[in-house]
Amino acid sequence: MRDALFSFFGSGAPVAMAAAVVALVASVVFLRTRNFLYDALALAATKTGFALLAAALAAGVLWSRAAGGVWWAWDTRLTTALVCGLVYAAYLMLRRAIEEPTERATSAAVVSVLAFLDAPLAAIAIAWWRARRTLPPEGGPPPGWGTLASGNALAMLLAGAALTVILLRREERRRAQDAERRAALTL
Amino acid sequence: MGYFRQVAVVAFKDLRAELRTKEAINASLAFSIVILLLFSFAFDPSEDTMREISGGLLWIVFAFAGTLMLNRSFAREVPNDCLDALIAAPLPASALFLGKCLANYVLVLAVELVSLPVFGVFYNVHWAKQFPELLLVLLLGTWALTVIGTIFSALTVNIKLREVMLPMLTYPILIPALMSAMQLTTALVSGTAIGADNVDSLKMLIGFDIVFTAVSLVLVETVLVG
Amino acid sequence: MSAVAVEGVWKFYGDYPALRDIRLEAAPGSCLALIGRNGAGKTTLLRIVAGFSKAQRGKVKIHGNDPRSTETRRQLGFLGHGIAVYDELSALENLTLYGKLYGLADPRKSALEWLERTGLERVRNGLVREFSRGMRQRLAVARAFLHEPSVLLLDEPFTALDDRAIAVLQRLLREALAAGKTIVMSTHQLREALELATHVALLSRGQLAFNGQCTPEMVADPGYIYAQYGEA
Repeated sequence: MRDALFSFFGSGAPVAMAAAVVALVASVVFLRTRNFLYDALALAATKTGFALLAAALAAGVLWSRAAGGVWWAWDTRLTTALVCGLVYAAYLMLRRAIEEPTERATSAAVVSVLAFLDAPLAAIAIAWWRARRTLPPEGGPPPGWGTLASGNALAMLLAGAALTVILLRREERRRAQDAERRAALTL
Repeated sequence: MGYFRQVAVVAFKDLRAELRTKEAINASLAFSIVILLLFSFAFDPSEDTMREISGGLLWIVFAFAGTLMLNRSFAREVPNDCLDALIAAPLPASALFLGKCLANYVLVLAVELVSLPVFGVFYNVHWAKQFPELLLVLLLGTWALTVIGTIFSALTVNIKLREVMLPMLTYPILIPALMSAMQLTTALVSGTAIGADNVDSLKMLIGFDIVFTAVSLVLVETVLVG
Repeated sequence: MSAVAVEGVWKFYGDYPALRDIRLEAAPGSCLALIGRNGAGKTTLLRIVAGFSKAQRGKVKIHGNDPRSTETRRQLGFLGHGIAVYDELSALENLTLYGKLYGLADPRKSALEWLERTGLERVRNGLVREFSRGMRQRLAVARAFLHEPSVLLLDEPFTALDDRAIAVLQRLLREALAAGKTIVMSTHQLREALELATHVALLSRGQLAFNGQCTPEMVADPGYIYAQYGEA
């Protein structure tokens, strides 16, 4: 049962990568077209990816404790996920720090591009780093991690897609409300 | 006026303004010395410990002290709305960015080159055994820090929480470069030259520098004008 | 060809339209006063014309070109709310810097010339942070005019100027107009602006409520425009 849960949440990690790609494409399209729908999509995809990554990390940490006795074993995949999570957390924090919608969308899109370029470099650097350190050899990935060919991954993909759509709608509504609020303020 | 002349004008302006007030460079230097001091209280620096932590410690000091400087980079254009005048001037945004990067680069390198001997004194380490290669790593790693710090300085220039957001954005993105620089520096300070087992870190640094310099030069106009 | 042409410009903040379908023209040698209450969109429009921000719809043309092109930027002078000079540098250093950025043939000479024209030649080596407010404003004016721009964009230029600075600015603007330059000026201080204006445009909540020549009635009674065409 426990393994099944770990497996389920763990398979969120590759779906989070897919979400990152969606966010990147949406950000680039936004920069080209300045259509706010793409900004909302980039935000929704990033939030989804971040949530999936957080769940996958939690599952990974718990599995690590259950199987290996340590909370954090500097496993390559988990560490990379953590770093990517930090980068996308910075994206989300930046969005909250900018009031004006157009500036926010533009700045966020730029960060999204930089973050996406950084992720593979971080993954490589962490893999090299780990190979160098005198740590116990990795005892295989946590269940579900990095594996796409399973029913779990498909289920996660559907869950991720649903979450993205929900968040997208919410962001669109928020934008409409913001416009009304601004209109009311200039009376 | 040639592109590189414009870059030079911007760089010299920043350098002149900073050297006249010395606000950021003094703060940066003081900060680096304090961190080095604090860490020496934390460890009992035996030969072996120093061999292992030197790279990490040095680059943490460089990154934190450097961020103090980099925050000022576009922030210095905010009072009096100078940034508007620079954007309105007939110079490409990339030239403005490059000029600022160069000025920041010089200033951060200066702080680092002062910090190294201080490090040597506090921790009783002979760090100059592989000096030419160490200098190379310093130059490459500091450029990574500078480019990322400067583009994010431009991005966060108008945000209220600028001092908080700049480190939050810069440090995670710098992780590949910092890891590589730390690893190389640790080896070089212990006296090991860059060899087959290290050269991949060097490649990572160079790759990082090239990728992010190119992308930043392209994106800076969007960041500044929208 | 008009010097400044605003063609169907819309500016959105998110979904909210701050500027709606603005159509304006300023012929060379004219002075357009952009009038409106706070929040009407004057600064937003001026910043779009200057190339600081982008309109989501519509275009701006300066002498037929995009405001962001390098050639156009060379011909644009902008005077905003901030003085846009560096506190840590001297007056001369500031102007020489801008002279170099604008590619002037002899930046130092032009800088000295403009320091004289704004009455600052005696303090040319003083650091700007030690200047009085009036001196800082005159330096800002010098900076805006330094590269002899053919189009001048000024955002509420007469606000917070002392009488000496007002006199300097009015003189310089009259000389510029006489030389065939174009001025677009947003303003609250209606009288000083209307005295110079040849045309007037009234912005009300992001839309153009009036756009036409400046009449004697307008100069005589600044409130006239608001009464005739202003907020419903």
